[in-house]
Amino acid sequence: MKDTKIVTEALSLYYGEKMALNSVSVEIPENQVTAFIGPSGCGKSTFLRTLNRMNDLIPNVKTSGKVLIDGLDIYDKKVDVVNLRKKIGMVFQKSNPFAKSIFENVAYGPKINGINNKKDLEEIVVTSLQRAAIWNEVKDRLNHSALGLSGGQQQRLCIARTLAVNPEIILMDEPASALDPISTAKIEELIFELKKNFTIVIVTHNMQQAARVSDLTAFFYLGELIEFGKTKKIFTTPDKKQTEDYITGRFG
Amino acid sequence: MERHFEQELKKLKKRILKMGNLVADQIHNTMLALQTCDTDLASQVISNDKIVDKLDVKIDKLCQRIFALQQPVATDLRMIMSSLKMNNDLERMGDHAVGIASRVEAISEYPEILKELEMEELIRMTDVIVKDVITILNTWNTTFVRDIFIQASAIESLCKKITDNILEEMGQKREVIVVASALIIILTQMERIGDYSTNIAESIVFIVDGKMIKHKKPESLFLDPDPEE
Repeated sequence: MKDTKIVTEALSLYYGEKMALNSVSVEIPENQVTAFIGPSGCGKSTFLRTLNRMNDLIPNVKTSGKVLIDGLDIYDKKVDVVNLRKKIGMVFQKSNPFAKSIFENVAYGPKINGINNKKDLEEIVVTSLQRAAIWNEVKDRLNHSALGLSGGQQQRLCIARTLAVNPEIILMDEPASALDPISTAKIEELIFELKKNFTIVIVTHNMQQAARVSDLTAFFYLGELIEFGKTKKIFTTPDKKQTEDYITGRFG
Repeated sequence: MERHFEQELKKLKKRILKMGNLVADQIHNTMLALQTCDTDLASQVISNDKIVDKLDVKIDKLCQRIFALQQPVATDLRMIMSSLKMNNDLERMGDHAVGIASRVEAISEYPEILKELEMEELIRMTDVIVKDVITILNTWNTTFVRDIFIQASAIESLCKKITDNILEEMGQKREVIVVASALIIILTQMERIGDYSTNIAESIVFIVDGKMIKHKKPESLFLDPDPEE
């Protein structure tokens, strides 16, 4: 059994008066891929964003309960959110490279973290691009604009940019939903490789993707965590009827 | 509106049941042909095997199509996996019916041997176990799965006992060697029909309860926990 990396205890979240998460308690293990599935509006993306306090940026959000990362409550007043987000990288549904060169996109994070030595930066960029499985495709055009890359390449570049600041956790919100099957397969393969060194939490609408890439799956419905367990169990013999009905396409 | 996927699953369930009924009829007719040494009925069984084979291929193709196009999970996945397996088991049962039917003529040379060796009881038991397992296949009611294991075990014991008696008989009466050899093969096939019946019962448990009970000792599967202990 892997060590626990993230723990939530009775985590609830309100957008104004509307409850989006209802007392969610979960333990996410280290170096595993944990997938969140559920119909639109079930709270899975909201939950993902509580893990790096992205919801702090939304007005009228009220959170209760705890989120512990390595045993420390990230909602504690003493926590520096900027430092927290260095530890927790995030990849979004739509790739969002900066209008800069491929090299500058990856070097951006290390630079604002104070690394200015050219050799060090080069090493970080090369390693990150290699780990994101895009190095061979871009090594001859590092100074070209990142916006000239294909959608799948841009998404992997964003993953490389995340890796460059050496996070411990990577949150992925629908990372392949806008990609073609080949690019999707590359991202999924990459997720499989990355879990050796990172804890990965992924939100996906694509249940087969959750089944393919994750070790654990959490099913959310109407802001509640209905079932959480090993992916192989959830997709073969789920315990809860609601989970069964959702994954077999009978509701949702 | 019913989803296309639901329609495909219903079609699969219907076809598996059709296969089950077809094979049960084949086995019933084989048992009748054996008991009465009716070679015409035996020929009919042999000829009808092509219908079983045709349906076997049709079910395999349907399962393949559902796997490829619908990516089933949970109960649906278990149902389709089990349908493939049950289809294979039923087809093999049909082959054993043919194997027995093709030896009816040999038995008809010396039909008294059936009575002498308690074959009538074994014929009845084989017919019953197949009918019972097809009822489970139809209803998905796992309450009676235990009975199938008990019946299969009784068939196995009786087959062994009759085989021992045949071997003894062969030693004493050289004139029965041909018919007795045919009977030994028939006994093996009847025992296998019992085994395939338990396989189908296991598959139904897998579909309904998600439990994989194959290769477990039957007696350990159905022990009710004693509240007194």
